Amino acid sequence: MWSGGQGQARRRATWFVLALAFWLLVIVCRLVQLQVLQHGYYRAESDKRTTRVVELPARRGNILDRAGRPLALSLPAESIVVNPMRAPQPDVAAAYLAPVLGLDQRDLEQRLITAARQRRGFLWIKRRVSFAESQQLRRLGFGWVEFRRESLRAYPKGILAAHVLGGVDFEERGNGGVEQSFEEDLRGKAGAAHVIRDVVRRGVDSRTERPAEPGANITLTIDERIQHVAERELAKAVQESRSQTGSVVVLDPKTGDILALASYPAYDPNLPFKTRQDAEKRANHAVSVPFEPGSVFKVITVAAAMETTRLTPETIIACGRGRLNLFGRVIRDHHPYDMLPVAGVLAKSSNIGAIQIGLAVGERNLLNYVRRFGFGRPTGVPLPGESAGKVRELENWGRSSIGSVAMGHEISATTMQLAQATAAIANGGLLIPPRLVLSKQRQGQKAELTPVGSPRSILRPETAITMRRMMEGVVLNGTGTLARLDGYTAGGKTGSAQIFDPACRCYLHVYNSSFAGFAPVANPAAVVVVTINGASVFGGAVAAPVFREVASAALRLRNVPRDLPDNPPPRESAPVELADLAIPALESLEELLPEPATPERDGPRSVWGPRVPDFYGKTMRAVLEETARLGFPVEVSGSGVVRAQAPTPGSILPHNGRIRIVFAR
Amino acid sequence: MINYRSSRDLDWPLLVLALAISGLGILQIYSATAGTIWGDTWWKQMLFVVAGLAAMHVIARIDYHRLLEAAPALYLGGLALLLAVLLFGRQVFGSQRWIPLPGGFTFQISEFVKLILILLAARYLSELRGDRPTLRDLWKLGALVALPMALVMKQPDLGTSLTYAAIGGAGVFFAGLRWQHAVALALLFVLVLPVGWTLLKDYQKARLISFLNPGSDPLGSGYQVIQSKIAVGSGGMWGKGVARGSQTQLRFLPVAHTDFIFSAFAEEHGFVGVAVVLTLYFLLLMQIVQNAQSAPDRAGMYVCMGVGALLLFHLLVNVGMLVGRMIVTGVPLPLMSYGGSSVLTVFMMLGLVNNVRLQRFVN
Repeated sequence: MWSGGQGQARRRATWFVLALAFWLLVIVCRLVQLQVLQHGYYRAESDKRTTRVVELPARRGNILDRAGRPLALSLPAESIVVNPMRAPQPDVAAAYLAPVLGLDQRDLEQRLITAARQRRGFLWIKRRVSFAESQQLRRLGFGWVEFRRESLRAYPKGILAAHVLGGVDFEERGNGGVEQSFEEDLRGKAGAAHVIRDVVRRGVDSRTERPAEPGANITLTIDERIQHVAERELAKAVQESRSQTGSVVVLDPKTGDILALASYPAYDPNLPFKTRQDAEKRANHAVSVPFEPGSVFKVITVAAAMETTRLTPETIIACGRGRLNLFGRVIRDHHPYDMLPVAGVLAKSSNIGAIQIGLAVGERNLLNYVRRFGFGRPTGVPLPGESAGKVRELENWGRSSIGSVAMGHEISATTMQLAQATAAIANGGLLIPPRLVLSKQRQGQKAELTPVGSPRSILRPETAITMRRMMEGVVLNGTGTLARLDGYTAGGKTGSAQIFDPACRCYLHVYNSSFAGFAPVANPAAVVVVTINGASVFGGAVAAPVFREVASAALRLRNVPRDLPDNPPPRESAPVELADLAIPALESLEELLPEPATPERDGPRSVWGPRVPDFYGKTMRAVLEETARLGFPVEVSGSGVVRAQAPTPGSILPHNGRIRIVFAR
Repeated sequence: MINYRSSRDLDWPLLVLALAISGLGILQIYSATAGTIWGDTWWKQMLFVVAGLAAMHVIARIDYHRLLEAAPALYLGGLALLLAVLLFGRQVFGSQRWIPLPGGFTFQISEFVKLILILLAARYLSELRGDRPTLRDLWKLGALVALPMALVMKQPDLGTSLTYAAIGGAGVFFAGLRWQHAVALALLFVLVLPVGWTLLKDYQKARLISFLNPGSDPLGSGYQVIQSKIAVGSGGMWGKGVARGSQTQLRFLPVAHTDFIFSAFAEEHGFVGVAVVLTLYFLLLMQIVQNAQSAPDRAGMYVCMGVGALLLFHLLVNVGMLVGRMIVTGVPLPLMSYGGSSVLTVFMMLGLVNNVRLQRFVN
C-alpha cells in the first residue's frame, strides 16, 4: 500500500509544520504589538469606552430668613429624558407620554421627530415632574424612558421676598436676587464619579472620585414676618392709589440689616421665567429703579444746613408768601407761608423754605452732603442690578440747580439709598452699608457671619438728634401725620415728586410718593422707607400709612419697648396738610402747568374745597366772567381759547389756591 | 482486522492537550457569559466535551479504512442533509445552519461535513495512481469540494465553506501538488475573484472592506474588529483578570463566548495567557503531525494531515481575525469556542487521528 509518495508526504508535512510555525510567529508578533507595545493606547481606548466621568450635582444651599425660617429650598425631583434614537415611533411615544405628563401631544411628537432627525440621543421631555407624574410613568414601565434625578428649587412662601431671593433657571442657576449674587456659594461644588458603562450605556458600577460639596446655606437679614407685612401693605397702597409700582425697605439703623425689602409688583419665583411681563415684574424697584426723591430730600438739605451754617431749627426762614423768583425761575409753595422756622420748613415741606436753606448751604456744601449721605453711589447691597442713582457734578449744575437739588430734584436715588441715608440720621450720624446676608454656612463648617459694613461718620451726633426731632415734627404736626404710630414716637419726611418722562422730556401728572422715617425717635430701632411710583396723590397720603403699618409691625415683632401710651390722643380731624410737592426743575413753569397741591376726586376724604369748573375751549372773556362770578383767583397766559388748566376740572381748589389757565389758538 | 487495542495505545498527550484547551475554553465561556442570557452555556459546553470524548472513542474504535470505504455514502448523506438544512433548517442570526434536535439542541450539519470531506479527500487522494495528482484529479476533487461549499455558502456561511476549501487544498498539497498547478490555481483564483465578489452578500463585502480599513465604518462591520483589538490590546502582558475584562464583561466585544472567545481570553489573561494557549495549540498540532508521519498508509496520513490542516485553518482565520489580520468570518476557535456541533466535530476528528494511530499497532 505504501508508495514512494511517503517521502514526499513527509516533506510536505515539514512544510505544514513550517506554515504552522510561521503562523505562530505572525500571531505572536501581532500580539506583542497589541498587548505589549500598544497596550497603553488600547487600555485608554478601552477605558474611554467603558468609563465615563459623571458630574455629581451638588445640592443647592438653602436661603433662610434671619430666624432660620426657610425662604428657598432645593427638593429632589425627577426629570423625564428620552433617547429619540431608541424610542418607538414618535407618534406612539408622544401618544403615551403626552397625556401622562400633561404635554401637548402634537408638540411633543414634533420635538421627538426633530431630535431624531438631528440624530440626537438625548431629549428632555419634561423637567422636574411631579411625584404623581413620575410614578404613573414608572408604572407604564417603558424601557426607553429615563428618569433623571434633579433638584427642584422651591420657594415655600411663594411671592414672599421674591425680589430678594430672585429665582433660578432650568439649570438651577440663579437668575436674580440673592440666588444670582450668591450663586457661587449656593451652588456648591459638583463632585465627580467614574461610571463604568456597558455597551448599551447602562451604568454597571460607579466609583465616586470626589464627593459633591453641597452649597452653603445663606441666612438673610430679612425677617419673614416684617417682610410679609411690608409686601402686604405695599400692595394694598399701590392698588388703592391706583399706582403702578412701589417699594419698601426696612432697615435696622444700627447694623444696616435689611429687615424687609419689598417691590411691587411681585412675582412667584416658583414659576419659570417666561414672558416679558415677567421681566417687568422682576424689576426690583427698591434697588434697581432710581427716581427723583422730591421733598424727602429736604432732610438732606436741612441736615447740611445744621452742620455747615448757623441755622438752627428755630431760625426763621422767609418763605416769600409762597412765591420765589430764583434766577428767573418762579417757585411756588402750595401753601404760601410768610415766615417758617427751619423745623417748620421741614414739617410743612415748604419748597421756598428749602430753597432758601439750600442757598444758605451753598452748592458745594449741598453736593458734599448729598454725596456723604451715599447718593450717587451704589449702597453695595448684594443684589444684582443695583442702581447708583444720579448726582450731577457741580460743573453740570444750572444756575437754579441749587434750588432743585435742595428739594430733591435734578437728582435720582433708590429707595435703598434713601433708607441708608435715613438710617444715618436714625443711628446718630453713621452711614452703614446695608447688610442683606447675616451668615453663610457651608456643610460641616461653622456659620460664617457677615460683618456689619464699616460705618462712616457723616453727621455730628447732635445734628442727627436735631434732625430726628425735626422729623418727629413732620409726623406730629406736618405733612406726615398719617405716619403716626400707636405706642411709638416716629419721625420721617414725606415726599412727592412729579415723574419725569424721558420720552416726552416733561413731567407727568403722576407722582413718586415717598415716606422716609424711623421709630422710635429717641432710639430708632427701625427705618422704613416707602416709595409709591405713579400715584396720583401725595406721599403723605399714600406712603405714610404704609410706613405706619410696616413700622408698627417691625417694632412690635422686634419687641421694641413702647415709648408712648397705648391710646394716643386723637389726631386733629381735618384738614390734614399733605401738600409736600417739590416743584420740579423746569426752565419756564409758565409753559407747563404742574398739578397743584390738590388731590383728585378719589383723594382722601379729609381734603375739601370748591371744585374747579371745566374751562377747556372757552375764550378768555368767558373764563374771566365765570371765575369772577365764582370768586376763583386765576392766572392766565397766552391768547385764544383754553388749552390747559390746572387744577384739572372737577378737582378741589386748595385753600388760597389759584387756577392757572393757558390759552392758545 | 481489529486486534487487541488497549486504551494505553491511545494518544494520551493529544487527549490531555485537547482537554486542557477545552477546560480553558469552558472557564472563559463561564467568565464571558456570567450574568447574561448565555449564563448556562458553560455547563452545556462541558456536556459537549463529555459527548465529544465519547464520540471520539467510538470513532477511534472503528477502523478508518472502513470509514474511508463509507466516505462516498457519507458524502452523499451529508449533501442531502445540507440541502435539508437549506430547505427546513432553523434560522439564527440571519443564516440557516441548524437542524433542530429534540431537547432544545440544534445540529449544525456543516460542521460534520468537514469530517466527511476529510475522509473523502483522503480516500480520493490515496487511490490516485502516480506520485502526483494530475490536473484531471484536481478538477474532480475540486468539484467534490465545491458542491458542499456552494450549499454552505448559500446558508450563508462563508467561514465554514472556506474551511472545506482548506480541506481540499491541504489534501492536494500533501498529495504532491505540482508547482505549475499551484500557479495555475492561483491565476484562476485571481480571475475568479471579481466574479466571486459579485456573488458575495452585501455584509460579506462590507466585512472585506472593513478588514482592509477597519476605521471606515467603526460602528458597522469594523466594529467587531476594533472592539476585539481593543480587548486584546488592553489585556496587556498579564491581563485584567478573570471576569474583569471590561470589553468582555460590558459586552463591547460581540459574542465573546463563541467566535470572539480568544479576544476575551486575551483581555482577561493577557499576553502570558495567550502564549500558553497558543503553545497548547502548537503542541496539539505537532502531535497530529507526528501521528500523520507515523501513519500506517497514505490514506491515514491524509486523514491526519487533513485534520491538522483544518484545525490550523481555523486557528489561522479565527485568531487572525481577532487581531485584525484576517477577514471577519464566522469561524469558531476549535475546542474553545462554545458550540456543540463544533466541539463534537473536533473531538471526532481527534478520534480519527487516534484511529490512524491505533492502526499502527495492527499487524
